[in-house]
Amino acid sequence: MKKKLMFVLFVSLTFLLSFTPALFAEEGVTDTEIHIGQWGPQTGPAAAWGAIARGSGDYFKWINANGGINGRKIVYHMFDDGYNPAKTKAGVKELQEGTGIFAWASGVGTSPGLAVKDYLGKKNIPWVGPAAGSKNWVDPPMKNLFATYPLYEGEAKALVKYAIETMGKKRIAIAYQNDEYGKNGLRGALAELKSHGMEAVAQVPFEAKDSDLKPHIMKLRQAKPDMVLLWVTVTHSAKIVGISKAMKFDTQFMATSTCSDFPLMTYITKGAWQGVICATFAQLPGSGYPLLTKYKKEIFDKYAPKGERWGLFYYAGIYFIEPMIEAMKNVGRDLTREKFITAMENIKGFKGIGPEVNFAPYKKGDMYCRQGTSETFLVECLEGGKSKQLTEWMSTK
Amino acid sequence: MIDFIQMIVSGVATGSTYALMGLAMVIIYKTSEVPNFAQGDMALVTSYFAMMLLTTMNMSVYLAFFLSFVFAAILGAFLEFAILRRAKEPNILGMIVITIGIEMIILGFVSWKFGGEAKTMPFPIGPYDGFIIGDIYISKLDVLTLVSALFFMIVLYLFFKFSKLGLAMKATQQNSVAAQIVGIRTNRIMMMTWGISSLVGATAGLLIAPTVMQPFMMWDPMLKGFAAAVMGGMTSLPGAVIAAYMLGIIENLFGGYISIEFKTVVAFVIIVLVLCIKPSGLFARHYVKKV
Repeated sequence: MKKKLMFVLFVSLTFLLSFTPALFAEEGVTDTEIHIGQWGPQTGPAAAWGAIARGSGDYFKWINANGGINGRKIVYHMFDDGYNPAKTKAGVKELQEGTGIFAWASGVGTSPGLAVKDYLGKKNIPWVGPAAGSKNWVDPPMKNLFATYPLYEGEAKALVKYAIETMGKKRIAIAYQNDEYGKNGLRGALAELKSHGMEAVAQVPFEAKDSDLKPHIMKLRQAKPDMVLLWVTVTHSAKIVGISKAMKFDTQFMATSTCSDFPLMTYITKGAWQGVICATFAQLPGSGYPLLTKYKKEIFDKYAPKGERWGLFYYAGIYFIEPMIEAMKNVGRDLTREKFITAMENIKGFKGIGPEVNFAPYKKGDMYCRQGTSETFLVECLEGGKSKQLTEWMSTK
Repeated sequence: MIDFIQMIVSGVATGSTYALMGLAMVIIYKTSEVPNFAQGDMALVTSYFAMMLLTTMNMSVYLAFFLSFVFAAILGAFLEFAILRRAKEPNILGMIVITIGIEMIILGFVSWKFGGEAKTMPFPIGPYDGFIIGDIYISKLDVLTLVSALFFMIVLYLFFKFSKLGLAMKATQQNSVAAQIVGIRTNRIMMMTWGISSLVGATAGLLIAPTVMQPFMMWDPMLKGFAAAVMGGMTSLPGAVIAAYMLGIIENLFGGYISIEFKTVVAFVIIVLVLCIKPSGLFARHYVKKV
């Protein structure tokens, strides 16, 4: 009887012990794997930015090929949300509650991101590097959310400041997309103008699905601006600059970082993009920056699918989440969300292919504890899509 | 004054694209009473097909365009034959839902096959080539679109009015059973209608593509073309074209003088007004089916 009891106890103990790692492990982390999720539009109006999610995927492949993170491989779960917030929300919930995701990487778009911000926040699931420079990520700050894209407001301020102080521009007009993305840029530009005692000579809203832009361009032209700041989609920016030049509306155009992929912009404007000044958030493709060159050789050349282009959006998918990988490495084998968040908070002076990244322990009301980057630099598009760096890294605070 | 004239000119230019889409929708509606919401995406896939011929197969523009028109016609006929005709106990609502489904499938296919990155199609006329006449800018592509819209309007009008096939198409719409009794092969008529409609819509796509191509490029022209078709009465070809030009001009003037923010919604306000005040449209004769 005693022997039988001992046997039952032994079997039960063995059975329980076999589950021990699972009982104490973090969601989305197994002995050999870390599950990371991301949404990215591969179809729909913002599909051009889908390269971001593909860039992240190839970055993870490269990390896995180089031994993974502390003995674990990254399992990447990417889904196409078509830039549709309802699909983003459904996809995130499905993966989170079905598969179990340890943390979320990047994710394109202000509206899709806003659809899941609260859901991830309530569960304290880490989310690093949303692919949009919206202030909504960090104001107010959330414990789980770390932003690496410089704020659109800051970019707009830097551009307007350069236009006024360096180029001597006096009549500034703003063309903005009539949504949160465009309004972030509008707010920054208006604030910078105000600090110089100036006002915008025109503020022209664009709807994302507008195809006829001539009335908007005429509105801008009527204001006789010497600089027009563009905070609209890539295709709208291209059309505005192209049509304006054809209409002999000769002014200086400046644009957000989303339009700073100069080879692409030059191609779709048939060269009309030459002379446009943009803010940007990462080293330029032809800069010869050693880490970027390494990424090109070891990630893009090896893992990128046929037809993929080595452009800003592709390697932005790497840039946005470099600190995430760094923090996971720093945590060590015992990877939990709490420890990962602490490791993210400890990232200071981190330098990847973008500006310096600094986070700090969570402090209510201090958005810069979660806004890791506060720098941008300005570039001018030259003939053939080449670029000229106009400034060093500028503070966007 | 310059701005006013420029707005009218731009309105006419934009209206030409709407007109082509409106014409394409009217052709199908005339025979089947189904508004085809896949019209824009049928034009989209044809434009990408042309782009593929031009860039990967290095064809001349003329040959690529000719083959694209053939492709468009076959695509339209195929969709009718393979999908719409297979609908069991079809009613108009069901057919509309099918066209929306086709629209989504084509859009997904184009995004998957060609990617979402913006492109521009090689074309002898540059997207920003134009004339400046007394400070008024006129784009060469817009002129070509205008000529194409008027050409199709006249040809189709004559076709429906005087050709045997055109009359057969009209008969199919008015009473398909009676048409069958008098020997019209209504299935074949429907297939041809879809082919012709697809070709007309594709012209709009092919003339937009030299500026910027992306998977969503036909959404706005399709909706505005539909608005123009409704305004014109859904069965009147000249009506759809005139309404499209009116719409383009009204949109531009509204954007210029009233509110640029609400410029896009003007078209839909007009649809609502037309449906409330004159449901048969501004230019169509009210046709009542008799039992």
